[in-house]
Amino acid sequence: MRIVRNVAAIFMLAGLGFTGSVQAADDPIATRQAIMSSVGAAAGLGGGMMKGEVTFSPVAGKAAIATMNAAAASFGDFFPEGSDQGDTGALPAIWENADGFAAELAKFSAAAGKAMEASGKDGPADLDAFKAAMGPVFGTCKSCHETYRKKN
Amino acid sequence: MKKALIVLVLLAVIAAGAGWSLSAPTRMTEQQAAALKTGDPVKGELVFWAGGCASCHAAKDAKGEDLLNLGGGLRLETPFGVFVAPNISPSEADGIGAWSLTDFANAMTHGTSPDGANYYPAFPYSSYARMSVEDLGDLYAFFKTLPSVEGKAPGHELGFPFNIRRGLGLWKRLFLNPEPVIAAPVSGNEVDQVLWDRGRYLVEGPGHCGECHTARDIAGGLILSHWLGGAPAPTGEGRIPDITPVEGKFGSWSAADIAYYLESGFTPEYDSVGGEMVKVQENMARLPASDREAIAAYLKAIPVVAPTAN
Repeated sequence: MRIVRNVAAIFMLAGLGFTGSVQAADDPIATRQAIMSSVGAAAGLGGGMMKGEVTFSPVAGKAAIATMNAAAASFGDFFPEGSDQGDTGALPAIWENADGFAAELAKFSAAAGKAMEASGKDGPADLDAFKAAMGPVFGTCKSCHETYRKKN
Repeated sequence: MKKALIVLVLLAVIAAGAGWSLSAPTRMTEQQAAALKTGDPVKGELVFWAGGCASCHAAKDAKGEDLLNLGGGLRLETPFGVFVAPNISPSEADGIGAWSLTDFANAMTHGTSPDGANYYPAFPYSSYARMSVEDLGDLYAFFKTLPSVEGKAPGHELGFPFNIRRGLGLWKRLFLNPEPVIAAPVSGNEVDQVLWDRGRYLVEGPGHCGECHTARDIAGGLILSHWLGGAPAPTGEGRIPDITPVEGKFGSWSAADIAYYLESGFTPEYDSVGGEMVKVQENMARLPASDREAIAAYLKAIPVVAPTAN
């Protein structure tokens, strides 16, 4: 009886977990928005250090760069056909010109990957090294937003 | 009966005559034209970026040096029809290479072509009308240094009645006014008057910010009582934001935030600039820092407006 109950509990847990992941896959808009808000937060931290509003530290620099890198690696997977409807800032151009959008994503991940490499194990040594690594990543934001995001 | 008919015909003739003369293209006065002189192309380059000429007259995705090839061809898809930006490179055959400085100034400030036709206000001459004589002379000198591009851009694609250029003369009578929009900084702000004035000149004149950030009425004229209060995007999807100092919205940006956005393309929340504003921001980034500070000072001290219905 106890075994049955445990098995049932395991199935329920598995079921919950399963339901959870189905929801994520069902709601690509929420997922990509969560990823992009982490990009925004990393840009806020990085930009704050560049402007001198936040004190630079190598570990913070690396956190910002690693966030960009993780986002660049996953963001593009959450634009399935049909996810242009709903509460989204995505423009139809993403699906109409899929190659162009992929090229913008490739620029983002290339820049973030290079920054990741440059930041090494302990993060960029100083603010100038951070600016040199992160600058090109920042540059890719607007080249994509120019064509593929709704004006707001 | 016959008399009444004659009166009616006469009235119609008078109305037509009045319409014809009211719709006549205007030009600078001789006195104004006499004040023009070809200026300094180095200064003119800054006027060129402030004016955003390349954003419409260069090729659609042009970057860097290609922004100086003003062959036209960009299509502006608007509710009135499709406007196609013309070639304004110094080509004598296909561009504006044969224009005198007076021709150039009449186009910029009166929307009137050298042969006396009215331009459509997709060309933002109702903002450029506020430009100084010096800036027009400098800009003309800079245009002369640009590469000549061969080939004319295709014509506009407009339906009746928008395809009648003469009618634009009436539009100009209603909406072309070189006076400043905002007379003075809103009180309660600590304002450097010289900086604010420079900001007003850039925003209301060459920068032509109001052309997209201000709502238009049914005739396509800017609703000046809603100056910079935001508007539906004139081309494509979305909405152009309200850039008056509304509390909790644009008003929460400091002057330094505005200047930084124009320089870097990042909002205070580190969202990036998008859409057509990317080109505008990249133009503003080429101006001296003091000009971006001036724009910010102006935007911090203009009236907040009620939202428009459209």
